[in-house]
Amino acid sequence: MTTPARRRLMRDFKRLQEDPPAGVSGAPSDNNIMLWNAVIFGPHDTPFEDGTFKLTIEFTEEYPNKPPTVRFISKMFHPNVYADGSICLDILQNRWSPTYDVSAILTSIQSLLHDPNPNSPANYEAAQLYRETRREYEKKVAAIVQESWNDDDDDDDDEGEEDEEESKAGS
Amino acid sequence: MSGDINRQLSHMSEASSMGSDGNSSEDLEEDNEYYMDNTDDLDLDCPSKADDPEYFEYEPLQLIDAEGMLNEEIEALCTKLKVNPSTAKMLLFGHNWNKEDIIENYQRDPQGFLIESHLASRRKHDNLIGVRPTCSVCCRDFPPDRFLGVACGHMFCRECWDMHFQTQIQDGITTGIECMAKECSILVPEDFVCEILSQPKLRDKYSKFSFNDLIKSHPRLRFCPGIDCSVIIKAKECKAKKVECQACGAIFCFKCGLNYHAPTECDVVKKWLTKCEDDSETANYISAHTKDCPRCHVCIEKNGGCNHMQCPSCKCDFCWMCLGDWNNHGSEYYECSRYKENPNIANESMHVQAREALKKYLFYYGRWENHAKSLQLEEQTTAQIQSRTQRKVMNNEGTWIDWQYLLQAAALLKKCRYTLQYTYPYAYYMEKGSRKELFEYQQSQLESEVENLSWKVERAEIVNRGELENQMDIAEKRRQTLLKDFLEV
Repeated sequence: MTTPARRRLMRDFKRLQEDPPAGVSGAPSDNNIMLWNAVIFGPHDTPFEDGTFKLTIEFTEEYPNKPPTVRFISKMFHPNVYADGSICLDILQNRWSPTYDVSAILTSIQSLLHDPNPNSPANYEAAQLYRETRREYEKKVAAIVQESWNDDDDDDDDEGEEDEEESKAGS
Repeated sequence: MSGDINRQLSHMSEASSMGSDGNSSEDLEEDNEYYMDNTDDLDLDCPSKADDPEYFEYEPLQLIDAEGMLNEEIEALCTKLKVNPSTAKMLLFGHNWNKEDIIENYQRDPQGFLIESHLASRRKHDNLIGVRPTCSVCCRDFPPDRFLGVACGHMFCRECWDMHFQTQIQDGITTGIECMAKECSILVPEDFVCEILSQPKLRDKYSKFSFNDLIKSHPRLRFCPGIDCSVIIKAKECKAKKVECQACGAIFCFKCGLNYHAPTECDVVKKWLTKCEDDSETANYISAHTKDCPRCHVCIEKNGGCNHMQCPSCKCDFCWMCLGDWNNHGSEYYECSRYKENPNIANESMHVQAREALKKYLFYYGRWENHAKSLQLEEQTTAQIQSRTQRKVMNNEGTWIDWQYLLQAAALLKKCRYTLQYTYPYAYYMEKGSRKELFEYQQSQLESEVENLSWKVERAEIVNRGELENQMDIAEKRRQTLLKDFLEV
């Protein structure tokens, strides 16, 4: 059955394949177009460089009138990412526009890694270290970059919860 | 308005009392005395603008009247500025209904003012490319005539606008609906929404929600916060004053809509209530319902509003709050409402400071909570007075009117205790200094007179009527004095 949300997600997928933005990738899960898996590569010249961070994107039938729920599956240490991996980003909440697509969401999150906003901290420790002792912050980030590679070993065809448990066990 | 109603009520009570004039000449004399007294009492309830710090003019409106009033204001602006009603409505909504400011700003620079109000844009309209341009929301191609846009010129297909409005309205957003384009905060006017919305049900919802938005944004209109009450209160100015809804009886502050809270200010009382909610566990633990008699240690449950306790077993008089001897309270002044700060606190460790802060809070919270409880218990006292009056009338001990002063005393007691309750958050947040000392002095005066009144009301049968009425007068005067000095007018 095709609905406006599914039709639009097919378009998003096509656009992502035809015109892939640098450093991000994403695709619908095997049997459900409403649930996507995505990867963001840590941007150059940031402490996140070389990391491969996995995320899930969950859409509702109200998409694109309502934003999807985006969460990091890989362990993350960032002022605007909560402990459960959910992200505090204005365009995913009150500044959402129906003209955003998956490509725009992923590139926005990528630039959030570049420019954290320590004034609205989702992770208080990360925000404080980012502001006060940048070196400590970078050390903590380096640790989760390392961990993001370990994730890859378990990356067979399991997804979602399995991965999350693996990354928790590794911490 | 409030004054007028009170005046009317007082006329009514006088008229009804006239009807049931006494039987014998003795009664007549007594009655005349009663009326004389009564007018004195009524002066308290029937204040004039000059000397009542709580005086506030307001009137209740029905939904339809409020709608008419808003429409009048909108139409007036339409004709003045020569804009359409949708735009006028948005301008008033966005600028606090300040017509003078809107007119001045608009006449100085119409385009600039509309842009600032998110109703116009300098942006050029989207160029729809090709025979079948693509809608950037649903990514489908349509003939150009299917595309629509508002002031910013971002063009989308009719279906996508419709879906956008549906989701927004379902989230309760109406007057705040914005254009769909990213980083575009142009507001979508009502006529555009209603023209496109395909579901008639949602159109009704839209007009209901947007009407609510308009009322809430209007500085001189307030929804009555009473449960299931649809009355809208209209006042001359937006002030933190007492409003009593004639329909449901709710008493609230016009400015913030919370329970009336004089002499404390809106933001202070909000801070206090949040604090009480956060700290209620500790406070609940500490404020128990029973206390031991300070002399014979028998367990006493407080079942009335009065803080002047008399132990039923050893007959000692003590104060419920401080467990001190009551006789020391009555004579000079009531020390028990004043918190004594430890003077060496600055030199103490963090731990001691934290304990001291909790102690200070618990001191004020205890008194706040105690008056709240007493107020509930005074309700019982009122009910008792009512049933006793009934019994007396049945036994031919005077007429119903003869005993009305008891109910008046109970009502006045409630009013005084209510104000007293709200003096504690005020005092808690007050800076140390001579003004706080004055406040606490007046508070203690009120506290002591309220307790005297409470004691007399509970023992109304054995207290002389003149004495009771005298006490009523003193208590209300104390309340007025405190409000006059500390309530922002």
